Amino acid sequence: MTVKIAGLSLANPVMPASGCFGYGEEYAPFFDLSRLGAVVVKGTTAEPCAGNPPPRLAETTGGMLNAIGLQNPGAAAAREKIVALQQWSVPVIVNVSGHSAAQYRAVIEVLDDLSALAAYEINISCPNVKAGGMAFGTDPAVVAALVRELRCATKKPLIIKLSPNVTDVTAIARAAAEGGADALSLINTLLGMAIDIERRRPVLANLTGGLSGPAIKPVALRMVWQVTSAVEIPVIGMGGITNARDAIEFLMAGASAVAIGAANFTNPLVCPETVEGIRSYLAENGFASVREIVGLAKKEWQK
Amino acid sequence: MLKLHTLKIIKQEPVAPGYQRLTLARGIAAQAGQFVQVRASETFDPFLRRPISVHDAAEDRLVLLYRTVGRGTALLAAKKAGETLDLLGPLGSSFPLTDRAQAVVVAGGIGAAPLYYLLRTLKRAGKQVSFFYGARTEAELLLREEYRALATNYSEATDDGSAGSRALVTDLAAPAIASLDATVYACGPSPMLKEVARLADYYGRSCFVSLEAQLACGVGACLGCVVPVRGQEKYRRVCVDGPVFAAGEVFFC
Repeated sequence: MTVKIAGLSLANPVMPASGCFGYGEEYAPFFDLSRLGAVVVKGTTAEPCAGNPPPRLAETTGGMLNAIGLQNPGAAAAREKIVALQQWSVPVIVNVSGHSAAQYRAVIEVLDDLSALAAYEINISCPNVKAGGMAFGTDPAVVAALVRELRCATKKPLIIKLSPNVTDVTAIARAAAEGGADALSLINTLLGMAIDIERRRPVLANLTGGLSGPAIKPVALRMVWQVTSAVEIPVIGMGGITNARDAIEFLMAGASAVAIGAANFTNPLVCPETVEGIRSYLAENGFASVREIVGLAKKEWQK
Repeated sequence: MLKLHTLKIIKQEPVAPGYQRLTLARGIAAQAGQFVQVRASETFDPFLRRPISVHDAAEDRLVLLYRTVGRGTALLAAKKAGETLDLLGPLGSSFPLTDRAQAVVVAGGIGAAPLYYLLRTLKRAGKQVSFFYGARTEAELLLREEYRALATNYSEATDDGSAGSRALVTDLAAPAIASLDATVYACGPSPMLKEVARLADYYGRSCFVSLEAQLACGVGACLGCVVPVRGQEKYRRVCVDGPVFAAGEVFFC
């Protein structure tokens, strides 16, 4: 079940998606976190961030919209939460968010000495903040420059999390790879909105929010397929995964690992259940390792 | 490992048009004020769990009283005795007991649901309880005889005067909040909670309110259900910091 991503060796290819798993502590009562391939913690900014006013959530058909607005305690306070995750001996990937290159760098400066921190996931794709976030993730030149700058700020692996809210995701992916990214994460949420017809106004206080859940899976899968065809670096695939079958689709599309987001809210055990489901699939179908199914659908398609 | 339960449904009964009482086979050590996250569908329609307050609990039973408002609660209402229910809980904070010998409890509509267990808890603790039960109309004063039986003093208010006083329940409760050396508890619509909190603050009573919010995870991870903290540039989570808050903590008092 082991996979290698960005120089990290993961015991299995399944991790929770950033923002859906807090700093791990909320889900630790449900299962042994060491059963995860990695823990990806909440988007962390240099300074504490209060986030957006409520309402922040709207349930939609087969999914949900969120506009949390990167609420987090800030990098200094996040340190102890990251260190606390060490007790499960699971690689910790920290999602780094900001509104400027300097702010991303500031987070790395505060956290870089932590041995518990295995890699950074650079969030250039949050749709719910007014400046930065997704604005960073939609221009290839800006992406390449940011990654290059952060590349100089740390020796730890850099995973760049891409936005689906672009015309050509492969252009952004190539830019990140050229900038020196070790891996890519995709997709972040799709920009959407909802209207309450009784109150006759938008549901979310932020007007728009990020769509996640099973409804977005086909879009995510298509983008993973495209990006893994366009770049050599490994991809962590995510977007609407709710079980092992979904995860296997992403692996077969070319993802080297997968992340599970909103499905944790419905089923707190979805991550360990997905690990076991992949294991069973491999055994039942005579595969010796996860690596054997990575990109398998592509190989079949090219035949 | 923890908190995720599959419980057998003992009874599913309509208590008024659009309102159901669901009795499950095990109490899961829930406290008054806590809630559970119920999975209404095996599929992803609806996608999220439904947060439902604990109406009553004992070692051998967990009772939920809920209004059928949408697809999730309609699916829940269709479940029958003998079937099982997947739920997460108990979650959130509970109503604290104080050293006061008296309590004023104010309910608005389906906000009465978690207050039944509170009334039972207060009674068991030997408190004198004045209960004020408000609803739009008589039919929505659910299980009124059961509530009446638990209160030392019991009063009703309806918007249309079909039962009790034709008044706001907060107007009915105001003299008690003013005159009794009591702890005040409330659950109901926001304007009602705001007014109860204002009265309690004015007369110097401790006051605890139970809030409702759209939830996703229910365990504190997603930060979707927050309420602003009074006078501060930050938010608290309804699901783990609440749903029961000291009234002074939250924004509307």
